[in-house]
Amino acid sequence: MIALDQRVGGSSDTDIQQRVPWIAAFILAVFALFFGRLFQLQVIQTDDLRIRSLHNSVRTLRVEAPRGDIVDRDGRIIATTRPAFGVQLIPHDVRHPDVVIPALAQLIDRDPGELRAQIGTPRGRLRFQPIRLAGDLSDDQYAGVESHLFALPGIVSDKRPRRHYVGGDLAAHVLGYIGEIHGAQLESGAFADYQQGEVIGQAGIESVEQDALRGRAGGVNQIVDVAGRVVGDIDKIDPVPGGSVQLTIDLDLQRAAEGAFVPEDPAEHARVGAVVALDVHSGDVLAMVSKPSFDPNAFAGGIEAAYWRQLNTDKWKPIQNRAISGQYPPGSTYKAIVAAAGLEAGLIDPNRRVFCPGFFRLGNRTYKCWKHEGHGSVDLHRALVESCDVYFYTVGRDLGVDRLFEFANGFNLSRLTGITLPHEMTGLIPTSSWKEKRFKEPWMAGETISASIGQGFDLVTPLQLAVAYGAIANGGALVKPRLVLRVADEDGRLVDVPAPAAAGRVPVRRAYLDLVRSGLEGVVEEPHGTGARARVPGVRVAGKTGTAQVVGLKHTENVDDDNVAPELRDHAWFVGFAPAEAPEIVVAALVEHGGHGGSAAAPVVQKVLARYFEKRAVQDVPAQVAWVAGSGSGRAGD
Amino acid sequence: MLGIDRRSIQNFDWTLLALVALLSAAGLVNLYSATWVPDGISDEMRRQLISFGIGAAVAVLCIAIDYRHFERFAAPAFAAVLVVIAITMVIAQNTRGSQSWLFGGRVQPSELAKVALVLALARYFQRYPPGQTTRLRDLARPGAIIALPVGLILGQHDMGVALLTLLIGGTYLFLVRIPWRAWFGVAVLGAASLVALWTFVLAPYQKERILTVVDPDRDPLASGFQSAQSRIAIGSGGLLGTGYREGTQTQLRFLPAQHTDFAFSVLAEEWGFVGSCAALSLYATMLIWGLVVARSSKDEFGALLAIGVVGSLFWPAVLNVAMVVGLAPVIGVPLPLFSYGGSALVVTFALLGLLMNVSMRRYVF
Repeated sequence: MIALDQRVGGSSDTDIQQRVPWIAAFILAVFALFFGRLFQLQVIQTDDLRIRSLHNSVRTLRVEAPRGDIVDRDGRIIATTRPAFGVQLIPHDVRHPDVVIPALAQLIDRDPGELRAQIGTPRGRLRFQPIRLAGDLSDDQYAGVESHLFALPGIVSDKRPRRHYVGGDLAAHVLGYIGEIHGAQLESGAFADYQQGEVIGQAGIESVEQDALRGRAGGVNQIVDVAGRVVGDIDKIDPVPGGSVQLTIDLDLQRAAEGAFVPEDPAEHARVGAVVALDVHSGDVLAMVSKPSFDPNAFAGGIEAAYWRQLNTDKWKPIQNRAISGQYPPGSTYKAIVAAAGLEAGLIDPNRRVFCPGFFRLGNRTYKCWKHEGHGSVDLHRALVESCDVYFYTVGRDLGVDRLFEFANGFNLSRLTGITLPHEMTGLIPTSSWKEKRFKEPWMAGETISASIGQGFDLVTPLQLAVAYGAIANGGALVKPRLVLRVADEDGRLVDVPAPAAAGRVPVRRAYLDLVRSGLEGVVEEPHGTGARARVPGVRVAGKTGTAQVVGLKHTENVDDDNVAPELRDHAWFVGFAPAEAPEIVVAALVEHGGHGGSAAAPVVQKVLARYFEKRAVQDVPAQVAWVAGSGSGRAGD
Repeated sequence: MLGIDRRSIQNFDWTLLALVALLSAAGLVNLYSATWVPDGISDEMRRQLISFGIGAAVAVLCIAIDYRHFERFAAPAFAAVLVVIAITMVIAQNTRGSQSWLFGGRVQPSELAKVALVLALARYFQRYPPGQTTRLRDLARPGAIIALPVGLILGQHDMGVALLTLLIGGTYLFLVRIPWRAWFGVAVLGAASLVALWTFVLAPYQKERILTVVDPDRDPLASGFQSAQSRIAIGSGGLLGTGYREGTQTQLRFLPAQHTDFAFSVLAEEWGFVGSCAALSLYATMLIWGLVVARSSKDEFGALLAIGVVGSLFWPAVLNVAMVVGLAPVIGVPLPLFSYGGSALVVTFALLGLLMNVSMRRYVF
């Protein structure tokens, strides 16, 4: 054999074999280098690298606390947090998209193409990340998905807390809405312990009581694999649910008030306006309505851009709370204030009569009374009952604009009421110096005449007017409107019980207020009264109509309302309280472009009052009375 | 010529067998962890066990035939392998970025090039003793023998295996007697070709991998990801390791290609500094033992064969471990006996069979 012939004999190493130790040395040197490197990584840098390994595999997740409930004064839930069922898809696990996606689409009533577009074509590690296809399934949809999960590999269902407003847009402006915290809010310092992406109250009580409703978020340390899939939990801190907030709102009255805005004829445009109902003693806000409204549920899962745009571009401004920030000329409702001012100033003798020929002359100008044929000879009582303009022109002329301001200010009409809702506006009660500052023009005597019937520059909010009338009703105490009855923590322990707060007294003697009140009672209860439509069977109601002119139409122009385009019609006011002899509740209603206060706004107030007394007749002890007694604090300023 | 005579059996190399058995067992135990599935054994594990069986049979065949007969087959085998690789290049489907797989991705012919190259070079140097190779021009023919398979593999865009084949062939340079001056010339030539390689051949992602070694945190999410995760795995193993099947990097699949190219990282994470050093020591011992076999061989062909086998086990280990510990770029070179892969395992066993063959017959004559 060839190999045998070529063998190298003897035990002496060949040329080749002499080189072998060199190779061995080289090999050992390389391995020594590896040992050194392993020592560096596994002994010297091990702590650092172990931390990086943990960062790889441990993910800390925030577990949001369920937001607390908001309930009405009777404990009925208005806003709560409910589980919302959703569907997620993990692209990597969907083996047969052509089967799974159409099937899922059918189950959740969606278009398969739309779902495919939502899924897209994720690549790499994104294929392991779940894509949330639906966030709030109906019970039927959820049941359908759940029962077919076994046939839909790659589809998972999930459950997340979602804010739910039981009544839809009911009391929407009181409740407000929630939304992701804004960058500016995070920077403001007021939200120091908040994180980006956190959902907070952005308006209304949701915003005011954010701290109480928020709860404490929990967290979970999860082990995840390289694809981000959760493999297990290391530890977990459960979230603490938010506390509950009990409002002073009475859902029955709220519903009655909101219902009053629904036109009887469905073809008619939905009415626009506001209602405020207050307890005249505690200042409790029993109902607060602003129309048009919005559905805060639409904000609960992150608002859709289209709806948000619609809300913000709607010419009727549905987001605005007209009850606290709508500024309207008070119109004839102002006469009650002028009457009180005139009495206190000694300018009115309640028995003295003024002749109303249907117009009033000042200098060379003529001011008409709304009743063109005139009221004839009227005293204070009749002037209020029939809302005689000429009577109050004379009072205003004698009082002058600045003293009128003093009294209006005394009724808090030039100040915020202090309700704990954001964006409250004050109206405008003019003075001569204000006009000079504002327009660089002197005050004209004729402007006082307009001001004395609540026209011209005068502006008030429905809430301001309710507080002012509340003072007339309760004998002179100005209440600070209260919206929150009590705040409890997650275990039901009371953490805050705001006491009814007084905002001072009106600068008018009680006897004079009683005279005004008697006149207001006549407005509703007496023949020829302008507010007859506010009558409630079994209860004597007092109140005042008002018709606030819309810019562009002179009050004195004689135009038939029915021939005027709806948006040019006057705003209709009615402010009423009852029972007239011992008032408990005051209701202010404004219907924008409603026309006459007596016909458009009085029925709104009537519905609220009727519901109030209907409910009181059923209950032995009304809830708010029981509570006021229980709190040890009685009637404010009485 | 076939069959094992009595003296060969008496001289059976139990040390080599023990070293190979220990390393194989360590490799399988580690692979079980790297491919762990909750119930039963993974497909990879099952296939690897089958490959072990095939490898053992091939090894027995390689042991049974007296190695001296291989010299005759060296040239035709070399030619055949080249043809197979060339055919692969044309017909094989395009898998894993390189066209080097046959039979539905089960067989990798370029692995065979290792054995064929070792045989061919052993045969060449047996005829033209390396001690007489004193001039650079004497390297032209062995250089051509190396360049043929390397060129073909490069044509398949398999950078790792091409480099590996080049280095295995280069093992024989340890034996030649070329003066240092000449080596300087080679170095200059080599540097020039590296620059040319960088400029004209390497794809951007390949350059990126190389740059990542220089600056590991360069791009921690893309090319640096594998390297960084491997270092994290090894480092978090610490002195004694996280424990078998307890490595979070491994079990949560943060390690890329953990059962193939990064199998050693799994071992290092779960067994720590002690375990990884033990495994490397065992491996080094096997290589040194191979050199002992070479030195005690009674003929030059046996010695050349043994050195070739050592080279073809040493270089993949060097490239793999260097890559895994972050000293070399990420190139797909498996660690023999540890990485998952059937072709590589069978070829490794064939090479070890050749080594055993040489060892058993050192006293035959």
